[in-house]
Amino acid sequence: MVAAAGVLYASVASVAALAAVDPGAAVAPRMEFTPPRAGSYVLQKIQLIADATLLDPAGKPTRLSVATTGRITLLTFFYTYCADPLGCPFAYHTLTEVRRGVVEDTRLTKRVRFLSVSLDPTTDTPEAIGRYREMVMRDSTMEWNVLTARSVRALLPVLEDFGQDVSVERGPDGTPRRALHHMLKMFLIDHSGVVREIYTLAYLQPEVILNDIRTLYLEEHSRG
Amino acid sequence: MNHGTQKTRMRPGSLLFALLIGASMAWADETCNSPYMSGLIKGQEDFIHVWTLGEPGLGDGSDKLVTIDVNPASSTYGKVLATVSVGGRGEAHHMGFTDDRRYLWAGGLDDSKIYVFDVGTNPGRPRLVRTITDLPDKSGFVGPHTFYALPGRMLIGNLSNSTDKGGVTGLALYNNKGKFITKYDIPTGTVGGVQGDGYGYDIAINPAKNVMLTSSFAGWNNYMRSLGEVVSDPEAMKHFGSTMVAWNVKTMKPTQVMEVPGAPLEIRWALGGGQNWAVTVAALTSKIWLIRQDTKGAWAAKEVGTIGDPAKIPLPVDLSIAADGKGLWVNTFMDGTTHYFDLTDPEHPKETYQKHTGRQVNMVSQSWDGKRVYITSSLLSKWDKAGEDNEQVLRGYKWDGKELTPAFEVDFTKEKLGRPHHMKFTAKAAGQLAYADSAR
Repeated sequence: MVAAAGVLYASVASVAALAAVDPGAAVAPRMEFTPPRAGSYVLQKIQLIADATLLDPAGKPTRLSVATTGRITLLTFFYTYCADPLGCPFAYHTLTEVRRGVVEDTRLTKRVRFLSVSLDPTTDTPEAIGRYREMVMRDSTMEWNVLTARSVRALLPVLEDFGQDVSVERGPDGTPRRALHHMLKMFLIDHSGVVREIYTLAYLQPEVILNDIRTLYLEEHSRG
Repeated sequence: MNHGTQKTRMRPGSLLFALLIGASMAWADETCNSPYMSGLIKGQEDFIHVWTLGEPGLGDGSDKLVTIDVNPASSTYGKVLATVSVGGRGEAHHMGFTDDRRYLWAGGLDDSKIYVFDVGTNPGRPRLVRTITDLPDKSGFVGPHTFYALPGRMLIGNLSNSTDKGGVTGLALYNNKGKFITKYDIPTGTVGGVQGDGYGYDIAINPAKNVMLTSSFAGWNNYMRSLGEVVSDPEAMKHFGSTMVAWNVKTMKPTQVMEVPGAPLEIRWALGGGQNWAVTVAALTSKIWLIRQDTKGAWAAKEVGTIGDPAKIPLPVDLSIAADGKGLWVNTFMDGTTHYFDLTDPEHPKETYQKHTGRQVNMVSQSWDGKRVYITSSLLSKWDKAGEDNEQVLRGYKWDGKELTPAFEVDFTKEKLGRPHHMKFTAKAAGQLAYADSAR
């Protein structure tokens, strides 16, 4: 984690000069504190998820309400053709760090899943997300599901419900290009389908996310 | 590209760019936005939205969001483009963007209503999309002041309570859809050996340290009473905040109370380049305070500077920190002066410039690059000056590091708008297309 942050720091610092205004030395999101102990705090119930029908890698309709209940779910939006072969480098890096912790904690392994939902159903067909899922599952047996939508129109209500902002880059002639702009967010959802935490770039801290997962586990466990 | 609305894009090059933005926005004073907010404007802002108090007999008399074109390249530069009246007068005061910068939440200190404006769809033409009225019922707090974006949520710092209208209050948490989630009381007991007063005002978070600071002002009984009456009433003068509170952001529990006498108001973090300190200004004592960790990691508040002559009660109100944390604008309301402090050594702020910018001045905002500075005049409807001194304006200036040069002015009285208070910037989404409008 420390080494990875160092790489990010160096990378970010190298592009600081490209910014229109140099605000000083740029740094990657930092973590200069010891996270509070799991279970020593409450994660608020931020919102219920509105249901929607998405598609799994086999093209089979899948209810979002099913895909986000029964386990603690860490949901993120992505698209497969990011320049990095695994896409969304920082999000992916964070998820793999969290996955390592989940796998090491045997209480969690069968109680946690990751869910990646494509932002680009036009390109990310069921076949495409199937290949992506194979990649992310290659080194782990922890559940990591990937979904897409039938169309942008079918996806828009989901994005609106999650407050996931997306826009499309426009070329000089005004026509849309492939690149999508969106705010990097991860959503931690409890076993009953309620969003309990949202992580944006300022604090995508794997150690904190892992503690939050444990907090939800302990909360559920304490209820029997 | 002139406009600098930049959002996170998940391609490698853009990721780094996003990290840069994410890491930087926390200490930028484009200027005082939540570190959880996206879309920081590093280039030329296109619009300023001004949350404006209604004035009886002036125009429709209602509080309103006024949108002004502030792009010098525009043919309507310095002109009012749109007004959205909320149909009532509730002491419009502060506002804040949601984390995605698509919506602007604006509060009324008197009626405790919260208005949500869509400024993302067409920033030049905001729309009122939601009115939240349940703050007092749900939380027991009144006087929503600071709107601080958390991911998917809005944390609201309040000034008062619905029971005795005094200064004991707390924070209310809503989700971005406007649903109340929970509340957090500002401590009235002893925390870390220091007595809390329970008062509230501003909120500022440092994510890297997992710490949130809150400051303290006064309750409804004071801020909705004329300033002259308040200062001449010894009992009322006892009811101003004199503390700041450090909170654990993850647990949302107070960890320390710090003594900061004289109503500490706006809080600004400087997080760049290993900086982990914040500044505030105490209105009644006219002092600058520095908040930073001591050698044992505890947060400590230290008086580090003076603004004007405290004996004359210049009443420092708003402040705006430079993007690199090395400069600080402070407006003093009573003498209508805008001050610039060199903050290169935050332990020893040094005033290097001042200018009389109006008969009364309150809010001050600067662009990311610091080249443009905007001020407004109104403090509170009952605290603004009377007669000819009740000047109600937005003034835009250019700043070259040596001199504030007037660029444009909007006379809110002449335009029949009201009393201009808080300002927020937006920019057109140049080079981007709304997803719903794309042909994908």
